[in-house]
Amino acid sequence: MVKEELYSYSDTVNELLARYGVRFGIYKNGTFKEQLFPFDMIPRKIGRDEFDYLERGLKQRVMALNEFIKDIYGDKKIIRDNVVPEEFVYMGSGYLAQCEGVRPPKDVFTHISGIDLVQAKDGEWYVLEDNLRIPSGASYPMIAREICRRSSPETFKKNAISDNRNYAKLLRKTMDHVNVGGHTVILTPGRYNAAYFEHSYLAEQTGAHLVTGNELVVENDNLFFKDYSGSKERVGAVYRRISDEYLDPMNFNPESVIGIPHIYDIYRKGNVALINAPGNGVADDKGIYYFVPDMVRYYLGEEPVLHNAPTYLPFYPKDMEYVLENFDSLVLKDVAEAGGYGVVFGSGMTGEEKDRFIAMLKAEPRRFIAQEVIDFLDIDIYENGEAVPRKADLRAFVLMADEPMVWKSGLTRFSRNPDSFIVNSSQGGGFKDTWVMEE
Amino acid sequence: MAILSLEHSDQLYWLGRYSERVYTTIHEYEKRFDSLIELKEEDYNAFCKAQDIPNIYNSKDDFIQRYCFDENDTNSIYSNLIRAYDNAVVLREEIGSETLAYIQLAVYAMNKAKASQAPLIQLQKVVDNIVAFWGMVDDDIDNEHVRSIIKLGKRIERIDLYARMKMDPVRLRREMKRLNTRINRTGLKYNTMKLAHLNYLVEMSEIPNDIVVEEIESLFDDEERRTENA
Repeated sequence: MVKEELYSYSDTVNELLARYGVRFGIYKNGTFKEQLFPFDMIPRKIGRDEFDYLERGLKQRVMALNEFIKDIYGDKKIIRDNVVPEEFVYMGSGYLAQCEGVRPPKDVFTHISGIDLVQAKDGEWYVLEDNLRIPSGASYPMIAREICRRSSPETFKKNAISDNRNYAKLLRKTMDHVNVGGHTVILTPGRYNAAYFEHSYLAEQTGAHLVTGNELVVENDNLFFKDYSGSKERVGAVYRRISDEYLDPMNFNPESVIGIPHIYDIYRKGNVALINAPGNGVADDKGIYYFVPDMVRYYLGEEPVLHNAPTYLPFYPKDMEYVLENFDSLVLKDVAEAGGYGVVFGSGMTGEEKDRFIAMLKAEPRRFIAQEVIDFLDIDIYENGEAVPRKADLRAFVLMADEPMVWKSGLTRFSRNPDSFIVNSSQGGGFKDTWVMEE
Repeated sequence: MAILSLEHSDQLYWLGRYSERVYTTIHEYEKRFDSLIELKEEDYNAFCKAQDIPNIYNSKDDFIQRYCFDENDTNSIYSNLIRAYDNAVVLREEIGSETLAYIQLAVYAMNKAKASQAPLIQLQKVVDNIVAFWGMVDDDIDNEHVRSIIKLGKRIERIDLYARMKMDPVRLRREMKRLNTRINRTGLKYNTMKLAHLNYLVEMSEIPNDIVVEEIESLFDDEERRTENA
């Protein structure tokens, strides 16, 4: 192992990441600011057998989620069979009535899934969240690996580490699989989006065109890219990095100025692929998460490989009773929030805050889930010349072409605050490379 | 053939113009800075006039600091570099991360120079990165239209600046020749009458610099180009 050599290049690697503009954007007090995303040189290592287990579980989970979305906007068998209560489907903000009866090209809804996992101290992995709308973050370990290999080739020569630089190929394969004819584009809201670096980097790496809404137009039931010479080129697949509500002002939020009028109409007719499919939010709602193991059993007839974190739905009286009795030992999450926001620990509240929260919980039980606090496995980060333990999660990426493909890497995010479990970049967290070992 | 949107063609063009503006104005600033060391308080006024920028400065020292580094002064070199960056950062997939990195490095170097006790020496690094950026444009960008639009922007900016600053006609004529060979490789529509007129003007014994500036600025009228391409 020559990892010490790799660690000695920490400053250089971070300088190179800055050179390539590896950043994320953040709005604070109404002002957009770009921040460097701190990279820690100590990788998270996942052994071959352990990754094989994760890979099996992730493929299974994403296949079940894809079936669920198809079913919800189609036959709704899972509701009729009382596996998932309809309240949880139709009351969630992710359900879109406009998607009823719409079948995407090749029935793929979950083209790119970001599944957030944590590993407990006993080594058990738990899924914390399924991100099926616009999961971001793959570009960071991609470019970090590229730079680390340049810094310390010996490290990569002497350790059998799976090459993660194939993400662009997997993504291209995913986009080409559903392309209905024409160019492939990545649709960005623009430069002032938090993940703009990623949009532009993935466009460069996949050879897709990075576009904003005003560069595309719907004409004669097809989507076209407006070339500067005046010609129009057909577009067959759009990897859209803008959310459902802003995608098409004629079908969703009429005030959207970043979408493309009528794109959803031609998607409905099968004349363009949208990646990921609109309406996926119905399956990654924090409330629906509770039912994913049941979905695996229902659609695939298999026992789930991966476990959820122990979760309670205050919506059910029995669970509400448990939550109230064990309030101090639970973490409570607002199902409508993301990015580490809307997460509170029962143990961290004052008596008054607790009373207020419980009143809110009773008034809106559908709005919250409660989970046991998992004692994450600490992972070392390199700080001021020494290794110190911090909480970290793993976002694994599953891409769906003719079959699901799990990227042999992932985004490991860590908290820089020793007392915090919140690892999100928007909350000051950093990231690590994730090494999947070949042996 | 690769496709290119009108928005990106504009951004490529302005990337070329702003990167050149930074390069040439740093050189001129360095000369002026040097001459101001011994000269009178108000001498910077001539520089403002030559560049056609308003003299908003309070003193020689104020000019030295703000013209170069004031991010709130829209005419400052700093502001022009940020505009180059604003155009470059949205063109990653057209120009590539390696090429874009040199504009990013120029911004870092400019910030370092701003905080430095010896800004002139530090500004050399800004220039070095701009030159490296142009080298990468030639070496790393395969799409001829993309490459040529950046270089066209650079030529137009250079002719504009040289005419405003009434530089040696030999230099102006050389840039005009380069423009003539570049312009038809861009795929852009332009006013051929104005180009012919410009060629005539720069060959005159006394070049009417004001008219050259007017003509070069309207050679690629955005409004006209959009209409033709609609």
